[in-house]
Amino acid sequence: MHSLKDRTAIIGVGATPQGRLPGSTQLSLAVDAFSAALEDSGLRKQDIDGLLTFPGTTAPEGALNYLRIGEALGIDPAFTGSMAMGGGTAGALVQMAAMAVESGHATAVACVFGDAAKTGGSRFSRASGWGDSWGIWGMMGAAANSAVAASRHMALYGTTSEQLAEVAVACRRHASMNPAAVMRDPITIADHQASRFIVEPLHLLDCCLISDGGVCVIVTSAERAKDAKQPQVLISGMGQAYTTRTLEREDWWYVPHQKEALDRAYAMAGMGPRDIDVAQFYDNFTISVLLWLEHAGFCAPGEAGPFVEGGRIQLGGELPVNTAGGNLSESYMEGWLHIVEGVRQLRGQGGERQVPGAETCLVTGRGMTLNCSNAMVLTKGEVSA
Amino acid sequence: MSGYSKPLPEMGEETRAFWEGTRSGQLVLQRCVRCAHIRYPISAYCPECLEQGHDWVPLSGRGEVYSSIVFHQVYDKAFADDVPYNVSLIQLDEGPRMFSNVVGVPPGEVRVGDRVRAVFDPVTEEVTIPRFTPEDS
Repeated sequence: MHSLKDRTAIIGVGATPQGRLPGSTQLSLAVDAFSAALEDSGLRKQDIDGLLTFPGTTAPEGALNYLRIGEALGIDPAFTGSMAMGGGTAGALVQMAAMAVESGHATAVACVFGDAAKTGGSRFSRASGWGDSWGIWGMMGAAANSAVAASRHMALYGTTSEQLAEVAVACRRHASMNPAAVMRDPITIADHQASRFIVEPLHLLDCCLISDGGVCVIVTSAERAKDAKQPQVLISGMGQAYTTRTLEREDWWYVPHQKEALDRAYAMAGMGPRDIDVAQFYDNFTISVLLWLEHAGFCAPGEAGPFVEGGRIQLGGELPVNTAGGNLSESYMEGWLHIVEGVRQLRGQGGERQVPGAETCLVTGRGMTLNCSNAMVLTKGEVSA
Repeated sequence: MSGYSKPLPEMGEETRAFWEGTRSGQLVLQRCVRCAHIRYPISAYCPECLEQGHDWVPLSGRGEVYSSIVFHQVYDKAFADDVPYNVSLIQLDEGPRMFSNVVGVPPGEVRVGDRVRAVFDPVTEEVTIPRFTPEDS
C-alpha cells in the first residue's frame, strides 16, 4: 500500500453548540459547523474543492446529503459523496479525504456532519438484522449490541460493572473541564451503580448521550497546512477494518476488526501503543473503551477491566482517554468530536484539560451493529522557528 | 392472540420453511448443498461459498448461552409489559448462533455457558417464535 504517512493534515476543525438545540436541523447544524471549521482553518470558501458528508440520523434526503449540503454551502466540488457508517463514518470520511488529497482529486476537503438527533427524531431504537428482524425477540436499540459484548467480556474475563464505571467517571471528569460539554457535573462509581439499568449489564451511565450538533473537519496536504493559521496536525497513520458478518462470525461481539484497523494505523505511522500520548476512543458505551484498550495493545485481551481502575485513563494518568468527555459526556456526535479533540490536544489548545506536551494522539471510530471501525494516529507537526 | 403487536417475521419464500418448522415444534436451518455450511440468518446465498442450493435440516434445538442481556428500557411500546425481559445470544450445538429469549427462569439469572433447549411459543395462528429454556427444565 502506498503510504500516506504524514502526507496530509487536518487544517481546520469546528463544531456548533451541542445538546438540545430546538429549531436546528441536520442542514443548519452542518452549515454552522462548516463555517466554524473554515474560520478555524484560515482558508476561504473557494479553497474548499472536496465535500464529504454524513447524513446522520435526521437528514431527510439520506445518501443525497452531499447535494443538499453542497447547495446550501454554495460549493461545486471536484470530489464529493455521502457515507453512512454510524460512528464509523467520521474517521472513514477523513481518511477518504486524505486519500483524495494525496491522489490529487481535491486539495482541501471538508468532512461535514450535522444531526438533530435530540430534538429532530432519531432512529437509534430500531432493531438490527436483515430479513427477519431481531426485534421479533425484543432485541433492539444501540445499547443492546454493546450489552452483548459486555455480558460476554464479564463472563470470560471477570470484568465488573464498577470497572465500566471507571470509564464513565473519567469521561465525566474530563467533560467537567470542557466548557462546551453537555454533561459537566462530576460523577462517582456509586452514582454509576445507582443509575437505572438500560440493557443489563449496562446502566444509564454506561450509555452515550443523544445530542443535536454539527462538526466539520477540513483535510488538506501536509505542505499546505504548514505555516497556516493553526499549528500543523499531521495524519501519520490510518487504518480501517470491517466485520459485515454478525451472527455468522463467532467473535463478532469482540469487534476483532478494531485490532486490524489499529494495526494498520500503527504500521503506517511506524508507531505502537508506547508512542501514544493521549487517546480518543469511540465510546458509544463504556465497554467500547475497554475493547479499544485491548485491541490497541495497551493491555492484553481480557485485561482492560483492571487496566482502567485507579484513574489510569484520566488526565494525569498513564493514558488519558477522551479528554473532552467523549460521546458519554461531551456530546454524542458519533465520534466526530473525538477527531476535533485530538486536533486540539496536538495544537496545545486543550485549556484546562490539555495533556502537557502531547505529540501523538490515537483516534478511533466504530459504527453500526459493531461492524465498522477505523483508527488514526495524529501527530503534532513541525513548528516553524 | 389477535392483539399481538410485537414485530413479526415476514412470511416470504425464503423464510417459510423456518417458520413452518417452528410451528411444528422443530428448529430447521439451511444447509448448503455444496459446502454443508449451516447458515443463519436465513439467506438466499451461502456466505461461505455463495451457493444458493440448500436443504432445510432439523437441528437438535440444543445449545448454550453465548451472551445474555436483560432489557429494562422499553424501545417499542409493545414490550412495555414484558420488561425486564431476557435476550440471549444462543450458540447452537450444530454451529450457528441466533438471538432469542431464555424463558422459564428469572431474566437476570441466565448465565453465559448455561445449557438450553428450544421451546416453541405460538404468538399468532401463523407464527410460532422459538425461544430457549434451561436444558434440564
